Amino acid sequence: MSDLPNPLRHGLRIGRTPEPCTVVIFGASGDLTSRKLVPALYNLAHERRLPGGFSVVGFARRPWDDAQFRQVLLDGVNANSRSGAVEAELWASFADGIHYQPGSFDDPSAYALLAARLTELDLRRGTGGNRVFYLATPPEAYPEIIRQLGAHGLHQSPHGGWTRIIIEKPFGRDLASAQALNQQVLAVFAEPQVYRIDHYLGKETVQNIMVFRFANGIFEPLWDRRSVDHVQITVAENLGVEDRGGYYDHSGALRDMIQNHLMQLLALVAMEPPVSYDADAVRDEKVKVLRAIRRIRPEEVATYTVRGQYDAGSLSGRPLPGYRDERGVDPASQTETYVGLKLFVENWRWAGVPFYLRSGKALPRRVSEIAIQFKTVPTMLFAETPMHDIEPNVLAIKIQPDEGITLKFGSKVPGQPQIRPVTMDFRYGTSFGVASPEAYERLLLDCMLGDSTLFTRRDEVEASWSLITPIHQGWLASPAQPFPNYEAGSWGPTSADEFMARDGRTWRRL
Amino acid sequence: MTSMTTVEIGAIERELRQLWSESAEKAPDGQAVIRALTLNLIACTHDAAHADRMTDAIQQLTASHPSRAILALLQPDAPEPRLDGFVQANCLLSRRGTPQVCGEQITLDARGSAVQQVASLILALLVPDLPVVLWLSHPDPFADPLLTRLRSVVDRVIVNSQAFAHPTKELVHMAELERAVSSGGLALHTFAISDLTWASLTAWRELTAQFFDTRPLLPHLRRIDHVTITYQAPGGANNPVAGLLFAGWLASSLAWVPLEDAVSIEAAQIRFHLRRPAVGVGPDAIRLVTIDLCPVEAAIGVTPGMLALHLEALDGVTASFRVDRTETPGYALTTATIAGMEPISRLARCEEPGLADLLAAELRLRHRDQTFSDALRVAGLLAARLRWDM
Ligand SMILES: NC(=O)c1ccc[n+]([C@@H]2O[C@H](COP(=O)([O-])OP(=O)(O)OC[C@H]3O[C@@H](n4cnc5c(N)ncnc54)[C@H](OP(=O)(O)O)[C@@H]3O)[C@@H](O)[C@H]2O)c1
Repeated sequence: MSDLPNPLRHGLRIGRTPEPCTVVIFGASGDLTSRKLVPALYNLAHERRLPGGFSVVGFARRPWDDAQFRQVLLDGVNANSRSGAVEAELWASFADGIHYQPGSFDDPSAYALLAARLTELDLRRGTGGNRVFYLATPPEAYPEIIRQLGAHGLHQSPHGGWTRIIIEKPFGRDLASAQALNQQVLAVFAEPQVYRIDHYLGKETVQNIMVFRFANGIFEPLWDRRSVDHVQITVAENLGVEDRGGYYDHSGALRDMIQNHLMQLLALVAMEPPVSYDADAVRDEKVKVLRAIRRIRPEEVATYTVRGQYDAGSLSGRPLPGYRDERGVDPASQTETYVGLKLFVENWRWAGVPFYLRSGKALPRRVSEIAIQFKTVPTMLFAETPMHDIEPNVLAIKIQPDEGITLKFGSKVPGQPQIRPVTMDFRYGTSFGVASPEAYERLLLDCMLGDSTLFTRRDEVEASWSLITPIHQGWLASPAQPFPNYEAGSWGPTSADEFMARDGRTWRRL
Repeated sequence: MTSMTTVEIGAIERELRQLWSESAEKAPDGQAVIRALTLNLIACTHDAAHADRMTDAIQQLTASHPSRAILALLQPDAPEPRLDGFVQANCLLSRRGTPQVCGEQITLDARGSAVQQVASLILALLVPDLPVVLWLSHPDPFADPLLTRLRSVVDRVIVNSQAFAHPTKELVHMAELERAVSSGGLALHTFAISDLTWASLTAWRELTAQFFDTRPLLPHLRRIDHVTITYQAPGGANNPVAGLLFAGWLASSLAWVPLEDAVSIEAAQIRFHLRRPAVGVGPDAIRLVTIDLCPVEAAIGVTPGMLALHLEALDGVTASFRVDRTETPGYALTTATIAGMEPISRLARCEEPGLADLLAAELRLRHRDQTFSDALRVAGLLAARLRWDM
């Protein structure tokens, strides 16, 4: 969509608001809708980022009416919104635009009713045919919904509006299923209409990786194999599988976390500068990185990967049952809840620099970060002095919980012949004192504005699955693992430490 | 906080160093106290009560704009010459385990002829290589000798036009000055001007602009022929500055040109006539726009600000766009009504911003605000038509 030539927009200090539109949420009675999506939309309204006429239609099986649906959402927003309890008057105005369409995903008559609803809203609320379809449903339902939308002509808007579709994770469970899903989606929608969500990309710090790298002249010259010893990317969760056991047991950390979130982080730290900050230029560069990663063949998994599954233990002072004892999990499950990987990006910039990725559940802290460890200096200079013990410089980009950047360097201890590592610490929270918007706010707004930079493109998803799938196949073909192999509340299996020790390195203590 | 009898740069700097090393000692091992300075903020007032409000605002800004703040309280009419200096750190309460962020404030209290020493002290106390912002809160800011003395180092001057002693006259003056500094005509080093009254209009400008982000409504914007701006002001009808700036913004954005001598004043209402580009007719066709300013005296204790805005296109398809402050404070109702369509309305948050919010908004700007310059230019033209207190 092109920029509207609204002359009053010039020099306004706040970004554009989208055109009035209707967001249709499939799976509207589910957890994601009331915990994330509607709180995000309400916050956007709260920040004056949504236009008058903005509407929501929820679609699910439960036989609710508009009033019941609004009440469920209100409770959800009260419990989950970052702007605190709902402001009654603002909610009343926002809720005026919320509607509920009961129906099953495979019931054509429900789509006919939905289509009539949308037309009526276009007239009554001035939404002009603009629509976002949000698939917040079990992934098995995606193909059916997409097919039905196509069959009812809802993939295109009447009278010149736009239609977009947001697809939640997981996008496929391996390369073949991701390709199949892409085909199903693209049989009905055109790629520019498709917004595959990876909520990690909606986080401010993740977007800031690009700003940090490409808006500062001093880091980029160091950002390559000459200066960097290795990179560590960690996404640690301090929760078990909770009530998602049934889903998780068929997925595992590799497919649930690495394939999307960690691969995106890797792509952003490793990519070349895009020619412009537009959706395709950025995504072209990310795809190039993913394609440059050396495949781990199924027979190499023992060398380049390590897996774990948590046993009973305690997390943040509370006991946690072992993974195999969680509801919905096979008592003999071989599903991994921890993964460590060593990857190589085989291009001119990164040849020979290992990228270590790890992600796990039931780890001691919730933390996501990317750490660039630089090569150590030749220590001859201080070799014969008490100052020989020099640690390498580390630049850590922290994504959560405390978003920021730290740089570790050595400094002389005053009055003593000693070098001590000190960290220089920059935190968004304290440096700008303003709360960052939630990832879903940013992503929903971008989609309504037609900006897909922070969404994954078809080839990106497939490139990532083509790396992940052989690893998974390798695991299936290898002997059963001695699971469980780490205690809940520890930093993962000892095999993960040995995995690093083989390279003479250690995981960062976080 | 220490008081010094004689103000000496060395002493102030020692005090500052001590403040920082004390904080560093208190910090847990390995955790640094972050001294984040993003600018030099010189806040100047003649009024002790106002100095406290300014200190409050500066403290609130520590999170978003940690600065070296120099607060100058100047009382030139005091009989005895006297100069005092104080140093204090403005630290934020931090969450456990996160480092504390502090800014620093130096207060200079000058009386009588000692006022003349202040500029030289300030020049010596500026942190190098950071922007210098001068915030002048007295009613006659552009005549302040401090501005003259500091102009070669100042990057931005912040004033509040609504509090000017002679609002319309000073607005005309500010518009001229803005033009001169922005054309670089005055000196090699120029500064930008920020007006807190302008900043207070942002939410209303945004709500107005948002109507026309909608494609089907956009064509009506070029057809607007009547505007009513209702606002509260200290001094009521005698202080139309906020209304003028808002009108100036609409006019400059939409290429409306004020007609000569076309102003009429009736009771408290001021009406301007402007010419707007014609749409859909021959090039010579002239279309007129009227803008009515309806000031309302601000009651004591009520924050001045916009109350209602009404844009109408009456010629042809009638279209009307309203923003009204609601009974419940903090909200506005926006309504678009196009003939033959259902009206579209919504409630939006529209809080009266506090002093610190307004300052923060201006401090975020890195350069001149071109939209402000354009709006101010037209507001200056309209103000000159009024020929009040000239
Ligand atoms: N929850 C999260 O935090 C989270 C985070 C990231 C991604 N996701 C993804 O988001 C999606 C939704 O997650 P969720 O946690 O919200 O799931 P959920 O709580 O299980 O909700 C599923 C929704 O789908 C509806 N539904 C299921 N089958 C249906 C059918 N045949 N016809 C009509 N409606 C049907 C359900 O409605 P009824 O029960 O009323 O029929 C319910 O509203 C999943 O793809 C998940 O992987 C979720």
